[in-house]
Amino acid sequence: MTFDPKAATRTPPKKVVFKVKRYNPETGKTWWDEYEIETYRGMTVLDALLKIKEELDHTIVLRYSCRMGVCGSCGMIINGMPRLACQTQIAEVATESNPVVTVEPLKNHPVVRDLLTDFTAFFEKHRSVKPYTIRKNIEERETGDMEYLMTPEEHEMLYEYTLCISCGLCYSACPVAASDKRFLGPQALAYVWRYVADPRDEAWRERLEEVDKDEGPWSCHYAASCSAVCPKMVDPAAAIQRLRSALVKYRMGMYKKRVAKKATRPEGQVKPKKPLPPEAQTLPGVDLEALEREPPVVPVEQLLA
Amino acid sequence: MAEKDGKVKVLENRPGWIASINPWVLKIINNPERTAFVLHRITGLLMALIIMAHIYVTGTPARVGWEAWAEEISKAHGITPVTLYFFFFAGIAWYHGLNGIRLLLTEFFGVCIGKPEKPKPPYEAPSLKACQRKLLYLVFLLWGVLWALTGYIVFFK
Ligand code: SF4
Ligand code: FES
Repeated sequence: MTFDPKAATRTPPKKVVFKVKRYNPETGKTWWDEYEIETYRGMTVLDALLKIKEELDHTIVLRYSCRMGVCGSCGMIINGMPRLACQTQIAEVATESNPVVTVEPLKNHPVVRDLLTDFTAFFEKHRSVKPYTIRKNIEERETGDMEYLMTPEEHEMLYEYTLCISCGLCYSACPVAASDKRFLGPQALAYVWRYVADPRDEAWRERLEEVDKDEGPWSCHYAASCSAVCPKMVDPAAAIQRLRSALVKYRMGMYKKRVAKKATRPEGQVKPKKPLPPEAQTLPGVDLEALEREPPVVPVEQLLA
Repeated sequence: MAEKDGKVKVLENRPGWIASINPWVLKIINNPERTAFVLHRITGLLMALIIMAHIYVTGTPARVGWEAWAEEISKAHGITPVTLYFFFFAGIAWYHGLNGIRLLLTEFFGVCIGKPEKPKPPYEAPSLKACQRKLLYLVFLLWGVLWALTGYIVFFK
C-alpha cells in the first residue's frame, strides 16, 4: 500500500461522520450505523473507532492490539479499501468536501460480530504451507552452533516476504478468494515462495510438489490487489508469479536452487561459552533440575477463592 | 449468507464471483491490474458466447446455400447489425489477446514483475511499479488503436 507520509501532519476535517457496518450474530442482521465525531490532527481510524466506542456506542465490536501496524489485528475495509485502522490517518481518507469514512469488516473472512472477523480458516491455510525452515539433517540444526551461509543478494531476494504480519488484508482484497474458499490465498502462497527461495530451506521440492494444485498459484489471475493493499510491502502478487514460473521450470526439469551449507568453524576453534547474564541466573537455593523432575503444584483454585 | 454455527450465525462475507466482474466491489487505489483482470474475465465470457454464435453463423451456408450467404455478406457495409457484431467481436478479441500476452509474460515466465527490494517510503510494492505496469498501459493503448482501426476497416472500407 502506498502511504502518504505527510498525512499525519495534515489536519483532518473538524467533524467526520463514521458509517460503521454492524452485524448481530444472534439475529443474523446487518445494518449501518452513523456517528459524528470531532477529530484532531494525527487521529487514526482506530483512534476514532475507540472514541466512538468510549463516548457514543459501547456495543461496537472490533479487534486491535498494538496500535502501530505490527500485530496485524485491526484490518478492516475503510472507504472501500482493506487497510489497517491503526495505520490509516483520517486526513488520508476524509476530505473537507466529503467528511465521511465508511468502515466494514474485511471481506472473505467470516464475520463474528460488527468489525470482528474470524481468522481460523486463514491461519489454517498459513499453517498448511509449513511456514518454517526445514532441514533434512535435524541433528545438525538442533545442535548447530554455526549459521547457514547466505549471500546478501540471496537475503534481499526473500527479505521482503519475511515482513508479513498476517493481517489478512491481501486475502480480503483477492477476487479469487472471493469466490473460491479453497484457494490458499496470497499470504500463504507468498510464504511458500519465501521458503522455496530461501537457500537455508531444503524442502523446496516437497513444497513445489505440494503447492502444484488447483488451490495453489494456478488459481491466481494477477489482479495484484494483494500487493496494492499490503501494508508491509510484501508484494504477494509478485511472489505468486515467481512461484508459478518456478513450478513451470520445475516441471520441465529446469528449476535449480542452491541449498546453503552450514558455516564451518576453523579447526581447533571452540565456541566460547558465554556466562549467563545476572538477570538470567537462578535464585540461590532453586534447583532447576529438581523442579523439572517434579513440577510444583500451584493451588489455582485456592488462589482464585 | 449467515449460516447456523452452534447458537450464533457467522456471516460468510464473501462477495463470490461478482468480485470477478464488478471492479467496484472494492475501491483499491493504485490497482489498474484489477481493472485489467475484470475486463479479461468479461471479455473471456463474451468470447465464449460469441464463439458459440460464430459456430452457428458459419454453418449458415450449409443451411441457406453459398449464394444467399455471399449476397448477405456483400451487403455488410456501413453500420449494419453484421458490421456492428464484427466491430464488438474485434474489440473483445483484441483486448483478450493483448492482455493474454501480458499475462503469459508475467504469470508463466515471471518477467516484468520487478525485483524484491527493501521497503522504503512511500512503500509501493516493486511489482506495481515494474514494467508490467507499462505493459498494461501499452495493452490499453494498443487496444484502443487497433479497435479504432478495425472500426474504420469494418465500417468505411
Ligand atoms: S502479505 Fe501483506 S497484506 Fe497479506 S497478510 Fe502479509 S502483511 Fe498482510
Ligand atoms: S492494532 Fe496492531 S496492526 Fe493495528
